Amino acid sequence: MSSNAGSLGDLQRAFQDYLLASSDTFQSAVRDSSKADRITLLDVYRDGYALRLIEALTTDYPGVMAMAGPADFDHMARAYIAAHPSRHPSVRWYGSGLADFLSLTEPYSRTPAAAEMARFEWALGEAFDSPDVTPITADALMALPQEAWESLAFTTLPSLRRLVLAFEAPQAWQRREEVEAGDLLVERAPEPLAWAIWRPDLVSNFRSLEADEAAMLDALIEGRSFPELCESVAPFTGDDQAPARAAGLLRAMVEGGMIAGFRY
Amino acid sequence: MCAVDIDFGLGLRPEHYEEIAANPGHVSWFEALSENYMVAGGSPLRWLDRLRRDYPMALHGVALSIGSIDPLDRRYLDELKALADRVQPLWVSDHLCFTGLRGQNMHDLLPLPYTEEALNHVAERVMQVQDHLGRRLMLENVSSYVTYAASELSEWEFIAELARRADCEILLDVNNVYVSAFNHEFDARTFLRAMPRERVRQFHLAGHTHKGSHIIDTHDEPIVPDVWSLYAEAVKLFPGVPTMIERDANIPPYAELLAELDEARRIAGTVTKRAA
Repeated sequence: MSSNAGSLGDLQRAFQDYLLASSDTFQSAVRDSSKADRITLLDVYRDGYALRLIEALTTDYPGVMAMAGPADFDHMARAYIAAHPSRHPSVRWYGSGLADFLSLTEPYSRTPAAAEMARFEWALGEAFDSPDVTPITADALMALPQEAWESLAFTTLPSLRRLVLAFEAPQAWQRREEVEAGDLLVERAPEPLAWAIWRPDLVSNFRSLEADEAAMLDALIEGRSFPELCESVAPFTGDDQAPARAAGLLRAMVEGGMIAGFRY
Repeated sequence: MCAVDIDFGLGLRPEHYEEIAANPGHVSWFEALSENYMVAGGSPLRWLDRLRRDYPMALHGVALSIGSIDPLDRRYLDELKALADRVQPLWVSDHLCFTGLRGQNMHDLLPLPYTEEALNHVAERVMQVQDHLGRRLMLENVSSYVTYAASELSEWEFIAELARRADCEILLDVNNVYVSAFNHEFDARTFLRAMPRERVRQFHLAGHTHKGSHIIDTHDEPIVPDVWSLYAEAVKLFPGVPTMIERDANIPPYAELLAELDEARRIAGTVTKRAA
């Protein structure tokens, strides 16, 4: 590749740097038209870059928008864009780092509910187009021989995500369209709550988990056997009650469409 | 090419999935945006598969970045090939542009300088992509807002020569020709007449936003009368080429796009009748 000033590589680098507002040298590489000066014309690209990414974030984070309102959201999005170049061909994945950005960057980190809302919304988005797997039914488990339960272990749907949230982001998210943008309040939960997000068919589900259910689901995700799942709930129920409680929780997970398969 | 008559199509948009399924027959094919379906599963792919059973489809991408000095993104190409294997499209298209470099994506169709160096570079990459996909690539002329001082060729000379060298096809976006002609002050008809007839395989039609001193290709408005007039010229020059209306934002009711498609049919029919 030639390295003269007008080479393809030099022009592309200068163009991209112009869009990122890190250099204005590209101005000298293009011409005015008889109707518009080059700055006006280049601004179509420079403005478009930010607007397209803000639009992507707005689509992915309606709950954060409902909390922040358009002006603050725009300001926040521009700060994210400045800190996060897009590295994926599809803008679908652009917002993947927003929750971490909000939790680590002043002044957004002073509103931790915003980062939690973002984390919840991104998990919903991931569930939306994750791989399709048909959940198993309770009948499939009922038909198993008794001895299978000694080693029975499970896999969850690829869409399943586990979150622990200190704020009531999912509850607030359900009210996102009922309030003026900027007015969505997200209360702190009495104590941090475990949540599951998953997509059994085409519609994403989410619900909170009891403490023993969360412990058991985590053990199940790790591939632990049914006796070990019983052990995971025993600290909450006592040894005697653990098998019945674990079986009940398992049934709820299966009937809720969280479980993709089993082996023994 | 398939045996079904491919003449007037629309962009496949999620807002219209259910209506398309409920009202078959008004559109002969659809163009799906490749990147929207390069996902693992869920509703978008389910709809794509369902509607593909009833309609031929083309795949149209925005992220190939055929003109970039970055290496071709092999992972992207693999995913595109997998999608093409799934859809069995009429054809696969993208844009004559670059979308970023240094591993960064600007998510915009950035114009190239029309130089011999760029021509060699793009032609080589088109051939690599065609080898990878195992099919010919169709490239679309983009709307652009700036003219490079370094350009040695006109856009139409560049495209015609690229198609010849790389043995690729041309998606002629009539609105983009109109927009760029206004912005760069050239004669849109000169552009059309320079396109090699045997390589123009699809037309795009779309709306835009007029800013007075320049036009922005926004795809969020109905097609304007001047673009319809240019379309009539294009149909005269390239008879029988499939036409598709591309609306990307401010998505109107399905019936409104069907009415716009009827206008394209009427214009194409009038031109054809006059020619006969």
